[in-house]
Amino acid sequence: MNTFVTETVSILTNAAMLFVVAAGLTLVFGALRLINMAHGSLFMVGALTVASLASGLTGGWGFAVALIAAVGLCAALGAGIEISILRRLHDREPLAQLLATFALVLVAADLAQRVWGTSDRTVATPVAGRFGVGGAVVPEYDLVVIGIAAAVALGLWLLLTRTATGWRVRAAVEDPETLSVGGTNLALLRTSVFALGAGLAGLAGAAIAPLESVGPGLDTQIIVAAFIVTVVGGLGSVVGAALGAVVIATVEGLGTLWVPSYASSAGYLVMILVLAVRPWGLFGTPDR
Amino acid sequence: MTVLEEKIPPAAARPAPRPAARVLPLLAGAAVLALLAAAPYLVTVSAILSLEQVAAFAVFAVAANLLIGQAGLVSFGQGVFFGLGAYTVTLGWEHAGLSFWEGFALAPVLGAAAAALIGLVALRARTLYFALITLAFSQLFYQLVEQNTGFTGGANGVFAPVVPAWMESPVDGYLTLLGIAVAALLVLWWLYRSDFGLLLRASRENRARVQALGTSVYRLHLLAFTVSGAFCSLAGAMFVVYNQGSNAELFDWTTSGQAVLMSVIGGMYTFAGPIVGAFVYQFGHDWLVRYVSDWQLVLGGVLLLVVILRPDGLAGAIRRPGRLSLSSRLNLPSRPRGRR
Amino acid sequence: MTALLTIRGLTRDFGGFRAVDGVDLDVAQGAIHSVIGPNGAGKSTLFSLITGERRPSAGTVRFAGRDLTGRAPHAVTRAGLAKAFQTTSIFPRLTVGESVCAALLARNTQFKLLRSRSKAGIRAEAETICGSLGLADHIHLPGSVLSHGDQRALEVALALATAPRLLLLDEPTAGMSPFETKRVVDQITGLARERGLTVLFSEHDLDTVFSISDEVTVMHQGRVLAHGPAAEVRANDEVMAVYLGSEP
Repeated sequence: MNTFVTETVSILTNAAMLFVVAAGLTLVFGALRLINMAHGSLFMVGALTVASLASGLTGGWGFAVALIAAVGLCAALGAGIEISILRRLHDREPLAQLLATFALVLVAADLAQRVWGTSDRTVATPVAGRFGVGGAVVPEYDLVVIGIAAAVALGLWLLLTRTATGWRVRAAVEDPETLSVGGTNLALLRTSVFALGAGLAGLAGAAIAPLESVGPGLDTQIIVAAFIVTVVGGLGSVVGAALGAVVIATVEGLGTLWVPSYASSAGYLVMILVLAVRPWGLFGTPDR
Repeated sequence: MTVLEEKIPPAAARPAPRPAARVLPLLAGAAVLALLAAAPYLVTVSAILSLEQVAAFAVFAVAANLLIGQAGLVSFGQGVFFGLGAYTVTLGWEHAGLSFWEGFALAPVLGAAAAALIGLVALRARTLYFALITLAFSQLFYQLVEQNTGFTGGANGVFAPVVPAWMESPVDGYLTLLGIAVAALLVLWWLYRSDFGLLLRASRENRARVQALGTSVYRLHLLAFTVSGAFCSLAGAMFVVYNQGSNAELFDWTTSGQAVLMSVIGGMYTFAGPIVGAFVYQFGHDWLVRYVSDWQLVLGGVLLLVVILRPDGLAGAIRRPGRLSLSSRLNLPSRPRGRR
Repeated sequence: MTALLTIRGLTRDFGGFRAVDGVDLDVAQGAIHSVIGPNGAGKSTLFSLITGERRPSAGTVRFAGRDLTGRAPHAVTRAGLAKAFQTTSIFPRLTVGESVCAALLARNTQFKLLRSRSKAGIRAEAETICGSLGLADHIHLPGSVLSHGDQRALEVALALATAPRLLLLDEPTAGMSPFETKRVVDQITGLARERGLTVLFSEHDLDTVFSISDEVTVMHQGRVLAHGPAAEVRANDEVMAVYLGSEP
C-alpha cells in the first residue's frame, strides 16, 4: 500500500509537469496551427532561470519569486519570437514555421550554454518537508507541483470556456477568417496565445527544477516527451494533453518498476500504438 | 490569390526552354565531378577526409530530400536509417563476420525494410504529426541502441576496422566513396526525373488534388519513404569508411536534423540543392569551428535567414540570381484555409 | 434509359446540422445537368459526398452500375467520375504541362511509375487537352503565375486528364468576368458535345444555367426543391420565390 501511494504520487508529479508543458504546446498548435519545436528550449530556460535565481532567493517565498520571474521571462521571450519571426511566416506553408522553430532550438541551445554554462545544476527543494499519507511518506514538494498543474488546468478551463478571449482562441482554431472579420485583432491574439504557451513551458521547467538536474540536453529530452504526450492526446486539445500526460507518466512509471532498461522507450511505443489506431490522437480531429 | 493577380500581369506566352539551356547544367556537373576526382592532388588530407563525409552526406541529404522537398514530407527521422546502415556494417562485422562489402550490400536492404514498416505507421499521420512521429522514432532508436550495451556497444559505439585494406588510405577511401556517391546519385536523379518523381512533386503541391485524380497518395508516399530509407542506410554504410565505426548519435534527432538542414539550406526544390547543402554544411562546419565556438548558433541563424528570406535555398539563388526574395515568395502557395 | 449517376436518399449531418437531407438525383448519360440553389443549400456538400471527400450519413451513390457510396476519392476517380474544384486547386510550382502530365499519370500504379518517364504520347495528350482549354501558350509556365481564368481552365484540364465519363464542376464561373464566363461556358458545352461527356455542375449564374443545361435540379436547405428540364424549372414559381424573395 505504501509503495502504491508513493508510486502514484510520483507518477502524478511527472504527469503534472508533462501536462503543463503539453498544454502550452497544444494550445499554440490549436490556435496558431504551429508546432513550436523550441517549446522544449523555453522549458529549459525556465528551469535554468530558477536554477540561477534560487541560490540567491531561498525558502518557499524566494522560490515563488524565482518561479514567477521564470514564467515572465519565458512569456516575454515567446512574445518576442512570435512578433519578430513567426509573424512573418504566418502565411507560408507549415514547413517554414517548423523549420524556423527548429532553427530557434539550435540558437537557444547555444545561447543557453553561453549564459548558463555547460554543467548541470541542482536546485534545492523549496519545501523540504514530507507529508504522511496513511503509512506512506510523500515529499511535500511533489504535492506542490501537482497543485500547480491543477491550478493551470483550472485556469485554462476557465479561460477557454468562460472568457471572451478564450472563446476567441477556440474560434481561431475553427475559422480564423470569420474571426478577424468580426473585429478581433488576430495578431494580438496570436502573440498572446504564443506567449501563454511559452509561459506554460517556463512554468513547467521552473516547477520541475528542484526535482531534476538542470543542464544542456534538457530541451531535447522534454520536447520529445511533450510531443509524445500532445500527439497521443491529440494536437489542439487541452483535455487530450491532460489525458495523454497521465497515460504517458503511468506507462513510464510502471515501466521503470517492471522493465527498467526499456522504460524510457515505453512512451514511444504508446505513441506508435495510438497513432496506428487513431492517427489524430485520442482527442484530436480527423481530416475527413 | 488576388494579391498574386494584382502584382503579376497576365503571363505572356513563353517558348519551350532551348536545348542549350538543358546542356549547361550537365556540363557544369561534369566539370565539378572532374574537379572532385582530381581533389587528392589539389587539397590537403584533412580536406579529403571532409570530402569523404560530404560524399556520404550528399547521398543522405538527397535521399532525405526525396521526402522533404520532393514529397513535402518533413521527416525528422532519417537518422534512423543512417544509423541503421552504419550499424549494419559494423555489427555485421563484429557479430557475424561479414566483410565490408557484404555489410554494405545488406545496409540498404535493411533500411528499406525498416522504412516500409515505420512508414506504414508514420504515414497515416498528416504533415505535422508525421514530423513529430519521425522525430520520436529517431530518439527511440537512439535510446534503444545506446542502452543496449551488450549487442550494440551502447554509448561507446562500435569501433570496427572493417574497411578493406586497399581502401584504408584517405585518398583511396575518398575515391571509392566518390564513385559510390555518383552511382547512387545517378539512380536518385533518374528517379527524380521519372513519372514517379513528377507525381511525387504534384502530391507535395496539392495532396488532395492528386488523391482526387486517382492516386493513393498513401501508397505513393510509402514507396518514396522506402526508397529514401534504403538510400539513407546506404549513406550510413558509406559513412563507416570515414568514421571507422558507428555510434548511437547517428540515430538521433541531430543527425536527422542535419539532413533537413542540408536540404533546406542547399535548396529543397531542386535535385542538386541538398548536394550543395552537404558541401556548405561540412566545410562551413570545418571552417567555423576553428574560429568560433558557437557553431550551433551560426547554423541556426543561417537556417532562419534561409527560411525567412530565401526559401528556395542556395540552389534557388543560383538559378535566379538577383531576384528579390519577395517575388520568389509570391510564387509559393499560401496556406489553404481551413483544417490541415 | 438508365441514368449514369443515380443518387438516392443522400444525407449528411454535421453534428446537429443536416447539410444534405435525403437527396434523390438522376443524371442522364450525355446530359448537361446543373444544380442550383441559394448559398448554404448544400450543393458543395452534395458534391463532396459524390466524390468521396466526405462520407454520407445515409443514402447511396450509384455510378455506371457500380456502388460508389462512401468510397475514397481516388477510387471514385478511377471509376470515371472526375471533379474540378471550386476553389482553384492546382499545382502552383509545377508548369501547366507538368500538371496535366501528372494528372494523366495519376491512375498508373506505383511500380509502373518507377520504371517510366513521360513518353511522347503522354506529352502529346497533355498538349491536346491544354489546347482544347486555351492553355497551349502557357504550357511552360508555372501554375502560380497564371491569371485566374487560366487557372480555372487548368482546373478543368486536370479533371479531363482522367478521361472521365462524368465531369463534376463546382461553381465553374465563380468570380469571373463576363468574357471569362462565356469562355468557360463555351468550353464546357464544346467538351460535352465533342467527347460525349456528361457534365454535372453547380452554379449561381442563372443565365449560364438556363442557357446550357438540359436538366436542372434546385436545392434548398439541403433538400431537392424541384427538378426537371431547364425550361420547366425556369417557369416554376416556387423556385423563383426561393431565389429572388417574393419578386416575380
